[in-house]
Amino acid sequence: MIFENLINAADAVFAFNNLLLMALGVLAGLIAGSIPGFTITMAVVLALPFTFGMSPIEGLSTMLGVYVGGLTGGMFASILIGIPGTPSAIATTFDGFPMSRKGRPGLALGIGLWASFFGGIISAIVLVFLAPTLAAIGLEFGPWDYFMLVCFALTIAASLSEGALIKGLIAGVFGLLVASVGEDHINGAARFTFDFDVMGAGFSFLPVLIGLFAFSQLLNDMSDTESAKKPMIAGNHKAVKMEHRQSIALNILNWFTVVRSALIGLFIGLLPAAGSSISNILAYDQTKKASKTPEAFGTGTPQGLIASESSNNATAGGALIMMMALGIPGDAVTAVMLGALTIHNIAPSPTFITTQPVLAYGIMVAYFLANFMTLAMTSGALRVFLLVTRIPLYILGVVILMYCAIGVFTLNNTTFDIWTLLVFGVLGFVMVKNGFPLTPMVLGVVLGPLAELNLSRSLSTSDDLTLFFVRPWALFFIVMALFSVFFPLYQSAAKANKRWASFYGVAFLACTSVPLMLMEGGFRTGLGAVLLLLAIWLTINKLRAPKAQNPSVK
Amino acid sequence: MKRLNRDAITALLLLILCSVFFWKTFEIREVPFSEMGSEIWPRFVLILLAILSLIYLFRSVTQPQPDTEPFSWSRWLKTYQNALICFVMFFVFLLALPYLGMLLAGILFVFITQSIIGGHSPRLLLMHAIVAVLAVGGMWSIFRFALGVVLPKGELFS
Repeated sequence: MIFENLINAADAVFAFNNLLLMALGVLAGLIAGSIPGFTITMAVVLALPFTFGMSPIEGLSTMLGVYVGGLTGGMFASILIGIPGTPSAIATTFDGFPMSRKGRPGLALGIGLWASFFGGIISAIVLVFLAPTLAAIGLEFGPWDYFMLVCFALTIAASLSEGALIKGLIAGVFGLLVASVGEDHINGAARFTFDFDVMGAGFSFLPVLIGLFAFSQLLNDMSDTESAKKPMIAGNHKAVKMEHRQSIALNILNWFTVVRSALIGLFIGLLPAAGSSISNILAYDQTKKASKTPEAFGTGTPQGLIASESSNNATAGGALIMMMALGIPGDAVTAVMLGALTIHNIAPSPTFITTQPVLAYGIMVAYFLANFMTLAMTSGALRVFLLVTRIPLYILGVVILMYCAIGVFTLNNTTFDIWTLLVFGVLGFVMVKNGFPLTPMVLGVVLGPLAELNLSRSLSTSDDLTLFFVRPWALFFIVMALFSVFFPLYQSAAKANKRWASFYGVAFLACTSVPLMLMEGGFRTGLGAVLLLLAIWLTINKLRAPKAQNPSVK
Repeated sequence: MKRLNRDAITALLLLILCSVFFWKTFEIREVPFSEMGSEIWPRFVLILLAILSLIYLFRSVTQPQPDTEPFSWSRWLKTYQNALICFVMFFVFLLALPYLGMLLAGILFVFITQSIIGGHSPRLLLMHAIVAVLAVGGMWSIFRFALGVVLPKGELFS
């Protein structure tokens, strides 16, 4: 069945028009990802207006091209000039730049490119098999479970907001409020329109997204008056020839690092709203810890470079799994794609893969293909990157602002959307300057209607509010949400060597085991029992461990 | 009493926003026979936002804030000069859009904003003019002719 669907989808993806659009997307992604300050999300958001006139498969293929291209393009600036092109290539800088400075930029770029490719392909294979399975599990969800899943998505997005949990939560809930403006989707009653007719339809998703991610980001980048006038990258950098043969050999030699990092990337991608900016650092850190020569990290070791690049590309697959199987964005980019699908009147949910097999499997095939296209187009894009980065930022920034205006107008042919763009651009700029993360807010805007719909369905199905807490899946997501809320607290406690922090993981295992044991089916009950036994065993071991082992434990 | 810091002011603004929106929920039309009234969800969200804002306010006044230099308008204006120019120019562009249309208003927006930020020597002015015409003209053509989008013509040209 899977292969039949894949073959049908391949027909649509390999159509000439689609291939051309994807190639353009990959090229745009490679270049946008390589420009320091420009994020992949911004690139995908800017590609969105072009996709309105396309079929859903063409639109998503183009955006996937931008996404995968951007993930690889981020390494150009990281390796050649030591400045990450995107946050997903921060760890690439640690070993890529030293290797480049040692006179091997071609090898560094080659290793990064092939690690990206292998990471992407591993992720794509898992995507094909895991997404339908996860979607099948998703079919078990009732509205109570879905509502709690959305709550979990918002709490984890907030908890990953670099030490700003409360601000992240506020941003997420504020996003829910923004989504509730305009006509309510269930009853059709107008809300918070302040007697303006244009507000009746609420804020369109696209102007909000472009305002928050592109408009505000551009203004942040241009804030420094002097550097905005200079070329984006100083110095005279020349295109280098990639050393493909040696790069492939090194990737194969370090196959375990490639696979482990890809799996880390996949896992991070599966977490709602956690993206490649986290996975690359986590994979690098794990590879360094597992290495026999950790002191070599930071001096130009291939392992460090492979870990970062393999994981960041693999994150895309994990994020796509969540989006397609459950309708929950795995990261900011898939939140944009979710918005793109709703523009085409398609709402991803657990039934998405079965009701839209060509589109769903088309996304998988396009993701596969985008990795191959990126591999083929990187050398050419490197030359364009060196040309583009000679342009002063203000020239490019102002032109893109104008493009944003035209782009959002195309959605509904109304200037109200451009006003929305300006308002949310200002809001995004102010939020970032005050330390509020934008991803939870966008997630709130995307998931708000879904949360309300499921709350309404729950209440109309039963008056029993305890169902939100006693149904196994709902309970499972409550456990996940609570542990994600307390995660920043755990991190600071672990840094301070507080004793309770060493029991956090154990407590998580024990709490997760309860809903699993309540679920139907022998496997889940068994898994729950195993987790519980593991938690008990770990607790006994930790309690037995001599306290003198760590004198600083409080 | 501690001096109000930026976080505390933000929290207070959020609380005011919550109050205004909560008051507005009473104006939401009641829909007969609906299982969940249209005002329930926004109220739930607003109560949550208010609780979070209160926690934020409490933390901002109880936790020690890093020492920062006293606020100065001139420094603030210098720091956010480019962003302010872009916001103001974009605002003016939006006001001019119904009269001048997307093409002309866009070209003027790009040309003037670039010249204010980047400088206005004759060479730069020429470069900005070329960039504005080519970039906006190019985008306008793609959307107008390739994607078939009807962009605002402007009262001046209709």
